[in-house]
Amino acid sequence: MVAAARTASPPAERLPGARRVEQIMGLPIVVDARDADDPAALDEIFEWFRLVDRTFSTFIPDSEISRLNRGELALVDAHADVRTVLARCEDLRSETNGYFDVRARDRHTVDPSGLVKGWSVDRAAEIADGLGWRNYAINAGGDIRLRGGALPEPVWRVGIQHPTLRQKVAAVVASDDLAVATSGEYSRGEHVLDPHTGRPPAGVLSVTITGPELATADAYATAAFAMGVAGPAWTARLGRYGAMTILADERVLKTPAFARSAGSNIAPSAG
Amino acid sequence: MRTAIAVVLTTAALALPTVDAWAAATAQKTVPKKKVVTVRKSFTGTASQAGRWGDLQVTIVVKKTTTTVIATKKKTVTRKVTSVRVPVYPDHTDRSVFINEQALPILAQETLSAQSSSVDLVSGATDTSYAFQSSLQSAILQAKSW
Repeated sequence: MVAAARTASPPAERLPGARRVEQIMGLPIVVDARDADDPAALDEIFEWFRLVDRTFSTFIPDSEISRLNRGELALVDAHADVRTVLARCEDLRSETNGYFDVRARDRHTVDPSGLVKGWSVDRAAEIADGLGWRNYAINAGGDIRLRGGALPEPVWRVGIQHPTLRQKVAAVVASDDLAVATSGEYSRGEHVLDPHTGRPPAGVLSVTITGPELATADAYATAAFAMGVAGPAWTARLGRYGAMTILADERVLKTPAFARSAGSNIAPSAG
Repeated sequence: MRTAIAVVLTTAALALPTVDAWAAATAQKTVPKKKVVTVRKSFTGTASQAGRWGDLQVTIVVKKTTTTVIATKKKTVTRKVTSVRVPVYPDHTDRSVFINEQALPILAQETLSAQSSSVDLVSGATDTSYAFQSSLQSAILQAKSW
């Protein structure tokens, strides 16, 4: 699976710390904690993701989101996390001129899964910080939050998947504190549609956003991809969030913030 | 991606019973008591939507071995996947794209490169592996009922 951690040298069994992959929310979630001595330390993180799934899944009939959509639960009675996420979705909808819209497919129900993934990884990173980890990476279906380094390396090296040659990477981002989200086509056969036209965007193969928070980075990536060829101009104004857009004619456009946060010239240390 | 395919193929091979090597070996030592017939047939899975890359369709070749014990007329049938073919993706990269000229001076422009760098994680979409698994699964189901 592309989302799985690809290990640089040394081989996996000799890597420091603990790591695990679990399939939750329909995604492979990888937690790689280089300074966690006990694999059981990962339990708390995965338990959090399972709780998020039980609360937000549109596939689980008694999740809070399913009950909200059936009118059995009033928003005021929903869990604080649910209200936080839905309020954030509204903020991001106006911030992205309606291109990030959790109500895009069906005006009567909400499916905030586009934000829940990134938001839950941000919260998982808070849990990891609380556990005292300083060198870890969390990868939820290709959207990543990292801190410190892939010990013994001083940084994490994130490959941005090549849009057509799936075993290759189109760029490498090296950082010790970053969120990275890429939007192209979603998994499970879902398309990112332009909510204004209801059609897939044209001319753009993928958009990668880097920045401090994964929830925001993921929403920006979804929105910029949905904008199609208008996306690159929009990403140029994203402040602390950097963007790399790969166009269908194989041009790659990077904002100054992407080049800065990427630090893409950091070479892997020898040995 | 490559890892995912390897895992899927291993599962596919295991899902179909393999030839009983011990039974075949003992049969060789004695006078003809068994008749072994081997046939090959290809199965094509349903076309699965692989994101914007169009349909992805998997074809497998299955070897079916029918062993008949002459005395008892007892038949044993085994099926094994001997090859998997996936057509290449349609080329979508020949289109010219016109973007807002105002943005160009701000954005650094490069040509897409394909690197095999050593990385710790990969950021990207996972649609093609799902399409592959889905098409392969349907081809295997057809072979099982053959």
